[in-house]
Amino acid sequence: MIANNKKPLLKVEDLKTYFFTENGVVKAVDGVDFEVHKRETLGLVGESGCGKSVTAFSIMRLLDYPGKTVGGKILFKDENLLKKSAQEMRKIRGKEIAMIFQEPMTALNPVLTIGYQISEGLMMHFDIGKEEAMRKSIELLEKVSMPIPEQRVNEYPHQLSGGMRQRAMIAMAMCCDPILLIADEPTTSLDVTIQAQILDLMKLLLQEFNASLIMITHDLSVIAEIADKIAVMYAGKIVECADIKTVFHAPLHPYTFGLLTSIPRLDVEMERLNAISGVVPDPLKFPQGCKFNPRCKFATDRCKEEEPPLVKVEEGHMVRCWHIHRVKEEVKKGFFAGLRVDG
Amino acid sequence: MNRTLRKLFSNAASLLGIILLIFFIVIAVFAPVLAPPLSDDPYQIPRMSWDVNPQPPGFPMSDNIRDMYEYIGKEVKYDKALCGTAQGGYDIFYGLIWGTRTAFKIGIITVFAAMLIGLFTGSIAAYFGKWLDEILMRITDIFLSFPFLVAAMVLTTILGRGLDKVMIALIAFGWMGYARVIRGSILSAKEETYVMAAKALGVRDGKIIWRHLLPNTIFPVLIQASMNIGTMVVTAATLSFLGVGAPMGYADWGQMVSFARNWIIGAPGHAGQYWYTVFYPGIFIILFVLAWNLIGDTLRDILDPRLRGEL
Repeated sequence: MIANNKKPLLKVEDLKTYFFTENGVVKAVDGVDFEVHKRETLGLVGESGCGKSVTAFSIMRLLDYPGKTVGGKILFKDENLLKKSAQEMRKIRGKEIAMIFQEPMTALNPVLTIGYQISEGLMMHFDIGKEEAMRKSIELLEKVSMPIPEQRVNEYPHQLSGGMRQRAMIAMAMCCDPILLIADEPTTSLDVTIQAQILDLMKLLLQEFNASLIMITHDLSVIAEIADKIAVMYAGKIVECADIKTVFHAPLHPYTFGLLTSIPRLDVEMERLNAISGVVPDPLKFPQGCKFNPRCKFATDRCKEEEPPLVKVEEGHMVRCWHIHRVKEEVKKGFFAGLRVDG
Repeated sequence: MNRTLRKLFSNAASLLGIILLIFFIVIAVFAPVLAPPLSDDPYQIPRMSWDVNPQPPGFPMSDNIRDMYEYIGKEVKYDKALCGTAQGGYDIFYGLIWGTRTAFKIGIITVFAAMLIGLFTGSIAAYFGKWLDEILMRITDIFLSFPFLVAAMVLTTILGRGLDKVMIALIAFGWMGYARVIRGSILSAKEETYVMAAKALGVRDGKIIWRHLLPNTIFPVLIQASMNIGTMVVTAATLSFLGVGAPMGYADWGQMVSFARNWIIGAPGHAGQYWYTVFYPGIFIILFVLAWNLIGDTLRDILDPRLRGEL
């Protein structure tokens, strides 16, 4: 585990990103805090629409109208990214912070060769010529274990398989040795065997490049595979943040608890799969009080009136809930006794 | 690309278009051979007689004009009006041949320049959006609100006579269509993830437009451009016909039709006597425009996936 006494590489404080739509203000990200240290992997988990991707785009400052980051700080190497000019930001993107997208098919330009798309980043951030950039692109493709890279650089995205496209995406993201990588559901569109290969590859590359990673996913098995620390998001807010073992073995938020119990398991006899009842609330009409209260089996009147703060339960474990102790009891009943976590 | 070429050649209509276009290109390239110029300005149509009346095909150069050329020491390499002469003795054949060059010049330069302006305006408006989009598109609307022919005519009149002025006028009122088309395409294309990915890689906005967005969106514009070459040539011919275009005696099909204006019906009792004055330039204009339209149609069939039946 990574020591927390050092300064974090990325510190997000009270980040607020709203979408100003015709129907009203959508508070997609509403006060998110987390830290990523050097060489650490943070898993950002949550259902669709909880604000994971918006958080990522806010960090990269890639949101366009009607989305706008209205508050908070994004401290990257002690500098607030929200205060940077567009020019400065462009120099950080790709070089310091890189991003991997969910759909490699749509994230690669269909009319440009793989080689061009990788070397574009290289030529943008380093003062190198076309030929050298191409040579480096081949090296990068080799690093991401692309078969026959010399040939692949001249091919177009449609000529590659899904896994190879994602490898090309990763090569693009890694082209300038970024120290922070943001991966937005990088394995969601791939089948399971390819998923495992890609995750292994990412782990390998993170070590080689000494990079940190923010892994955005709704897939807890992916998180278990790669993350050191997990931040669980619900309705634009972090509800629980802790290292991976704590989250999997001793979750303290009912939502985390619900997510974990809804994973099908082979090692425990189960009559039926537990699911969290209800749906993610309409972002235009968030419930009063704790946003999870309509779906929470621990909810009391207090939850409906007052929103709980994010409190530190112990070092490195933050929870946003009024009923931590009741959840603890429930967990102790043995639901998680058999759950094994790698790493 | 192979498929594109195969389709271009397998379709009868497009094949006709290509053959016509090649025909015109050959004429334009070999103009000095087909019709050797007699004066220093090759675009000046030589006169075969000083007579006002048109002369029939095969009319030889009149003696007094031959004497004139001999007097100034010019060798007369070209002395027979193969297609007759227009009003004032202007040689129709010569005008047709050199008029082809004029037509290409007008068509390609005006369309290319208008396309560049349109692409620039439309792509910038769509990509940056917000107030810039609003301003640029309202300017486009203003230009669009003028009737094309009238606006071009007025501007040419203000600028003065001459082919360059005609082209300026055509460009000034011919770019809006491209701007609108490319704006629409880029508005939808810029939402694609690859644009986001390129931004996330730190690629400059200009480069994103130029290398990422335009290659994905330019085809409808190219189709429109190839169709518009014909339109531009017809409009330029119209301006010349109306007398605000090419200067007197300039090798320009529109001007040649204009020469024919008084002779279309023929003398009483001899209907169609001077048919050649209007027939030759007219047929050249028609075929030239037809060639580009056929090619434009085929390009659209090939490049537009909606018409290809794949979407």
